[in-house]
Amino acid sequence: MKAAEKSTLFDRVVKATPGGEALAQCLQCGSCGGSCPSAVDMDHSPRALFAMINAGMEDEVLGSNTPWYCVSCYACTTRCPQNIPITDIMYTLKQMAVQRGHYDHPHAIKFSETFIGFVEQRGRGFEFGLATRYHLFHRPKQFLQPTQVFKMGAMGANMMRRQRLPVRPVSIREIDQLQAILAKAKVVAAKEMQA
Amino acid sequence: MSEQRVGVYVCHCGHNIAGTVDVEHVAEWSANLPNVVISRDNKFMCASTGQEQIEEDIKEFDLTHVVVASCSPHMHEKTFRNACARAGLNPYLFEMANIREHASWVHASDKDGATNKAKSLVSAAVHRVIHQEPLQPMQVDIRPETLVVGGGIAGIQTALEIADAGYHVYLVEREPSIGGHMAMFDKTFPTLDCSACILTPKMFDAGSHPHITLLSYSEVEQVDGYVGNFTVRVRRKARHVDEDLCTGCGSCWEKCPIKVIDTVFEAGLGSRKAIYRPFPQAVPKYPIIDVENCTYYKSGKCRMCEKVCPTEAIRFDQEDEILEVEVGNIVLATGFQLFDPRRIPNYGYGRLENVFTNLEFERLSNAAGPTEGKIVLRDGVTEPESVAIVHCVGSRDKNYNSHCSAICCMASLKFAHLVMEKTGAKVYNFYIDMRSISKGYEEFYHRIMEEGASFIRGKVSEITDAAHTPEEEGKLILVCEDTLIGRPRRVPVDMVILSAGLEPRADAQEVGYMFGAGCGDTGFFTERHPKLDPVATVTEGVFIAGACQGAKDIPDSVAQGAAAAARVLATISKKQVNLEPVRAEIDESRCSGCRICNNMCPYHAIDFIEADGVSRVNPALCKGCGTCVAACPSQVINGAHFTFDQLIAEIDGIMVDVTAGALEVV
Repeated sequence: MKAAEKSTLFDRVVKATPGGEALAQCLQCGSCGGSCPSAVDMDHSPRALFAMINAGMEDEVLGSNTPWYCVSCYACTTRCPQNIPITDIMYTLKQMAVQRGHYDHPHAIKFSETFIGFVEQRGRGFEFGLATRYHLFHRPKQFLQPTQVFKMGAMGANMMRRQRLPVRPVSIREIDQLQAILAKAKVVAAKEMQA
Repeated sequence: MSEQRVGVYVCHCGHNIAGTVDVEHVAEWSANLPNVVISRDNKFMCASTGQEQIEEDIKEFDLTHVVVASCSPHMHEKTFRNACARAGLNPYLFEMANIREHASWVHASDKDGATNKAKSLVSAAVHRVIHQEPLQPMQVDIRPETLVVGGGIAGIQTALEIADAGYHVYLVEREPSIGGHMAMFDKTFPTLDCSACILTPKMFDAGSHPHITLLSYSEVEQVDGYVGNFTVRVRRKARHVDEDLCTGCGSCWEKCPIKVIDTVFEAGLGSRKAIYRPFPQAVPKYPIIDVENCTYYKSGKCRMCEKVCPTEAIRFDQEDEILEVEVGNIVLATGFQLFDPRRIPNYGYGRLENVFTNLEFERLSNAAGPTEGKIVLRDGVTEPESVAIVHCVGSRDKNYNSHCSAICCMASLKFAHLVMEKTGAKVYNFYIDMRSISKGYEEFYHRIMEEGASFIRGKVSEITDAAHTPEEEGKLILVCEDTLIGRPRRVPVDMVILSAGLEPRADAQEVGYMFGAGCGDTGFFTERHPKLDPVATVTEGVFIAGACQGAKDIPDSVAQGAAAAARVLATISKKQVNLEPVRAEIDESRCSGCRICNNMCPYHAIDFIEADGVSRVNPALCKGCGTCVAACPSQVINGAHFTFDQLIAEIDGIMVDVTAGALEVV
């Protein structure tokens, strides 16, 4: 326990991410921030976040919206000149923020949980269900305002017309196998957490 | 075996060893090893007092063998061998145990373990050393001629230094003219003097020097022999022009009807004829016929050059010539190749027409280049109003080359200056780190900042022509994160220059193999010692200079060229050189002649002697690596200084129980 307390934020991020050792070699070149489609919405670019991890700024790092805006396109990871698994580190940071219960963006985590719920259930994302379930369960007041309903309804209808938003969810075959894998992963993760 | 008397010396190396290993204990414990008559510890064995101690003890205790436990043999084996020799002991009766790199440094957190390991290593050396035999170094004569491979600035410098000292040089160059990359450049940083103006006098000297045989348009095909006595086979490719008759008047290429895009010297921006001289100041001045594009070689017709040549120097039927030269030393100065930016698709080179490479820009900016020095877009007329210069293209990037190309920061600053001076365009430099480490370089950086260039700290992620706003229409947009602001930026410009990095030539491995020079993990030739022996290779008599050893700029290439020349001249003036006697020897009475060792030898040192039906080691070529010793199915090859007896004894020594009488654990 004492060792865990002593270990720095940097050490913990590296340990929790496969290939995370490369984080020590960040050149601060900004390839990640320049390649990221969501960078304009992030409060810190991934590069800046790495510098903050190095500086041990735990509250700021885990409170940052950056990991939550990551869309897992892996553009940063393929272009990183130091082969840092940037996208994977974003997942680590999300996990750490959730485990700590410390995050300044509660909507982001609820959105993420809703999304993962569909993946666990069906092996795939389901946008129509995600949008309705997320808003109804987590933001009913805002969602049910007449202007919002109209705005989002119109966008949804538009997407449906262009066949971008299927109304029915699709499940993968042998979903029970995926669920078994996820169940096992949860047991392993819980054990690791205890240790 | 007569009585063996071994002296053991355990070095503290200040705190380097003594900080981890209990040196006094190791020395005390070693005194009880077999045959040891004296065992001491010393603060610094390599200091003169330490060496004198060995010399005194050899005389006083009549030592037959000496073991020093200290650092790596790379560091001080010679030092202690010399100490033994001064006291009259054959230096090969000395053995070194490395208890610094192999014990104290790597086990800093485990003092007892490190001490035990040090004891094992000393024990191994003590057991081994009594089987060592006195050996005599081999002496070979040095031929005074030298082969220099590559006629860029490094090779030219090497050749001139040696030739000026009065010794003959064969300078081999693959291209039709010497001059290398430097001949293509416009200005040189940081002084901005014209590249051709400072290079061409040297090229001319090299071409006309009485002690230099210039073999241009030639390639080395085979190298045999060893230091002092290399035999080199050179292919002189056919120029199809008789050099004895040609005056270089130029009638032939003026009248030649075939125009060819020049992808070598003009980087694809200009053209030449099918019979051509690469550039006006070329050395030698003779043209060559480009057989692939010449009409005569396609259809048997034309022969225009032959008709107009006033001295009848055209030789359509000329063939490659093979030349054998005998040399004592070889200097490799084969240079670099430019990283091909097509490998980074997101930079758009080859797809977006106004993205240029650094070499293309050099030709654009050069008054003798295809645009006569006008900096214009690919259309040939439009001057850019804004130019982006991208640093580190293909360098400092594990997806391509992880090394820093060393020259791009300064070359990029030079580009910025030339663009602003000639066009008044706005210039943006995209950099990760500015590296201006040599004399006058930082001042040059400040000068370019003062001249008004913009510097954006961020590696460019993408270059695109997909506009987001009306201002971006028709422009090239550089997408990056400005890391000093911490926000993404899109910078629209008319022209982009990619500072492509320097990388080893594609055939560096093959060339290295031919000459016995290895390539390191970045692919450049490996020097014998990165700091203390930067121009030598592991092969005696083979030296390296310039960018073939690692990315470097002109001043450093010239310095290395001169350094390699000094090393060559030193061996020439010694007339003879001593070779390590650590070599393999085949017991010919028991050799079955299977030839397995012939192919295994990395130094081509073993030949099969047809007449006797056995293999024989050429001792001057052998490096004593032991590959053949291990490979021989009849076990009849003996590696001097690494005999079976010695190795088995060393293993016996390692097996000694070092914990008996060990330290009490505190």
